[in-house]
Amino acid sequence: MKKWQVAVVMVLAALGSWFSLGATAHAQTYTIATDTTFAPFEFQAKGGKYKGIDIDILNAIAKKENINYKLKAISFGAAVQQLSANQVDGVIAGMNVTPERQKTFDFSKAYYTSGVVMAVAKDSKVKTFKDLKGKTVALKTGTAGATYAKSIESKYGFKIKYFNESNNMYNDVKVGNSAACFEDYPVMSYGIKNGIALKIVSKQYDAGDYGFAVKKGKNAELLKKFNAGLAAIKADGTYKKIIDKYLHSSEASLTGETASSRTFIGLFTQNIGTIGNGLWMTLELTVISIILATVMGVILGVLGVMPGKLGPAISSTIIYIFRGMPLMVLAFFIYIGFPDLIGHGFKIPAFIAGMITLMLNEGAYTGAFVKGGFKAVDDGQMEAARSLGLPYWTAMRKVIMPQGIRIMIPSFINQFIITLKDTSILSVIGIVELTQTGTLIIARNFEGFKIWLMIAIIYLILITLLTWLSNWVQRRMN
Amino acid sequence: MAKVVVKDLHKSYGDNEVLKGLNLEVEDNEVVCMIGPSGSGKSTFLRCLNDLELPTQGQVIISGYDLSDKGTNINLVRENIGMVFQHFNLFPHLSVLQNITLAPVQLKKASKAEAEKTARHLLDVVGLADKVDAMPKSLSGGQKQRVAIARALAMNPKIMLFDEPTSALDPEMVGDVLDVMKRLAADGMTMIVVTHEMGFAKEVADRVVFMADGLIQESGKPDDVFDHPKSPRLQDFLNKVINV
Repeated sequence: MKKWQVAVVMVLAALGSWFSLGATAHAQTYTIATDTTFAPFEFQAKGGKYKGIDIDILNAIAKKENINYKLKAISFGAAVQQLSANQVDGVIAGMNVTPERQKTFDFSKAYYTSGVVMAVAKDSKVKTFKDLKGKTVALKTGTAGATYAKSIESKYGFKIKYFNESNNMYNDVKVGNSAACFEDYPVMSYGIKNGIALKIVSKQYDAGDYGFAVKKGKNAELLKKFNAGLAAIKADGTYKKIIDKYLHSSEASLTGETASSRTFIGLFTQNIGTIGNGLWMTLELTVISIILATVMGVILGVLGVMPGKLGPAISSTIIYIFRGMPLMVLAFFIYIGFPDLIGHGFKIPAFIAGMITLMLNEGAYTGAFVKGGFKAVDDGQMEAARSLGLPYWTAMRKVIMPQGIRIMIPSFINQFIITLKDTSILSVIGIVELTQTGTLIIARNFEGFKIWLMIAIIYLILITLLTWLSNWVQRRMN
Repeated sequence: MAKVVVKDLHKSYGDNEVLKGLNLEVEDNEVVCMIGPSGSGKSTFLRCLNDLELPTQGQVIISGYDLSDKGTNINLVRENIGMVFQHFNLFPHLSVLQNITLAPVQLKKASKAEAEKTARHLLDVVGLADKVDAMPKSLSGGQKQRVAIARALAMNPKIMLFDEPTSALDPEMVGDVLDVMKRLAADGMTMIVVTHEMGFAKEVADRVVFMADGLIQESGKPDDVFDHPKSPRLQDFLNKVINV
C-alpha cells in the first residue's frame, strides 16, 4: 500500500515539474517550427543537428537582429497546425505563400522563389502529364507540389496518394507504387543529386515564394525583425553564400558522411548517437506511460466492479471513449486540438501530450481487462471476506485484488508490449523517438532498407527483454 | 429478547418469490438445523441473516440490531456472526494461518502475534495443527472446511451460520467436519445449520426446522420432527431422504 502511494506521488511530482518547465521555457524565446525532411531547406545532419537553407537563413537573421529562438523540427503538416493553434511562434519550412494561407498567417518577404516539378522513376516511361492517366501520383501533404497536382488532377485523370515525409513519397515512386511525384525544384534536384533514383521530367510550374510565417495578427515584432534581417543578409552577401553552399555541393559534405560508411555496420556506428537518443526517448515514454496507464487502468477496473451504478457507468464510459479512439487522433487532439480549445496561448510540450495520450489509450485497455480480472474472482471470495466483517474496500484490497491481479498478469505483459510499440505513433506529433529517428536518418541518407531493418531489430530486442522481465515477475508471483 | 429474530421475511428475485414470509426466533446457545428439499429457500434464508442477501420485505434482528435499519453498522454485526459456506471459500492466495488471521488483524481485534496464537489454537481444536503454513490448494475438502470453521471462529462470533457445510465433501470427509461442529455445539455456540445430514440434525439439534416452497412448514424437537411428522409435505420429504 505505502510503496505504491509513494510511486504515485513521485510520478505526479515529475509531471508537475514538466508542466511548469513547459510553461516557463517560452518566456523570452521564440519557438520556430521547421520540417524534418525537406533537404536542402532542412534536414538532420549526422549527430542529430538540423541543417539547411532555412536553418542557416534563420540563424543568420537571428544573429543580425538578436532574436532568441528555439528550433522545433516536426512534420510540415504538424508545424502548420501548431502555428495556427498558437503552439509555436513561427514556421520556416520552405512554405509557399498562398492566398489561402495568408488568411491564417502573416508572411515575411519572400526569401526564396521556386517552382514545382514532376519527377518519375529512372526507368519510367512517363514523360508528360498526359501519361499519368489512370495512374497514381504521390504527394506530400501541405506542399506547393500537392496543391499544383491537385489542381490538374481531374484534367489529366490520375489518382492521388498522400505522404507526410518526402522520403516516403520518393520511395513510393522509386518502387513503382506511384507513377510520379510533384516536388519543389530545389528539393527534388538536391535529392536526385544525392542519390534518389528519380528523374525530373517537367519544367517548373506555378513558381511561388517561400516565406517565414507567423499567426495572423501575432508576433508582428518577430516578423519585422525577420524582414529587416533578411534585407541585411542579402546586402552583405551572407544570403548568397548560404544558397550556394546548399545548392552546389554534395550531401556528404554537408552531413559529414562518407560513401564507404554505407554498410549496415557503418551506418549503425555512424548513427549510434542519434539512435541512442531515440531509443532513450522510446524507453522513457514506455516506462512512464506503462506506470500511468496501469494506475489509471486499476482505478477504472475498481470503479467498474464497485457496487452501485455510478462507478461502473463512469468506468465504462471512459473505457468506451479512449479505447474507441485511434491513438493518432487522440495524440493530435491532445497536442493540437486541446490547446486550441483552451486558447490564451496555452501550450503542452509534445512529450507530456504523448504521455497523456498513451496513458488514456493504454489505460482504457488496461481498465477493461482489470475489470474483467476482478469479475473473474469467484463471488464467494467477496462473500466470505464480507461475512468476516471486513469492509468492502479492505475485502477488495486484501482478497479480491491479489487474486484478480494474478489472473491479469498475462494481459499486463501483453499491454506493456503494445505500449512499447505504440510509442512509435507519437512521431506524428514530433516526438523524436526510435521510429522518428529512423525517418530522420533516412531523410538524409536514403538508406531505407538498412535503417528500417536496424530499427526493427532494436524493437525486437526491446520486446524480448520486456517479455523476459515480465515472465520473471510472473514466475515470482506464482 | 431472542438472539436472532426474523419477522415476516420475504425475498424475491424479479417475479420469483423465494421466501414467502418467514418467522423464526433463535435463543442463546440454541442449535437449529434447517432441512428441506433443494430450492426451498434454506440457503437464501441463511444469507439474509448476515445481509449477504437483502430482504425484499420483513425484519432481521441480530442481538438487538435491526439489519434493515440504516443506522446499523453491518460490518460490526457481521463480526459477531461466523459463516461457513458449502464451497469453503478459503482465500487461495493466503496460507492457512493468513486465512485465519486476516480479519482479526485487519479489524484490529488483535495484534498479529495474538491473532497467530489464537489461530494455532483453533487449528489445534479442528485437528489441523500441522497445516499452519499450508496453502489451501494442498488441502482436502474436509480439511478446507475445518480451516474455514477456524477462520470464522477467529473473530470470536456469538452466532455461527453453516450453509450446507458437508454437501461438497467426499463421504469419508464428512465425519471430521461434523465432529468439529458437534464439539462447537457442546461448547454452547448458538448455531443455525442448513444441512442434508439428518443424523447430525437428529443428534445435535435443539430444534429442527423444515422448509419447503419458501415457507417454514413445520418445526420442533428432532424426535417430533423425524419420528412424528405432521404435515404430508414433511412425511413425503423424509420418505425420500431416508429411503435413499
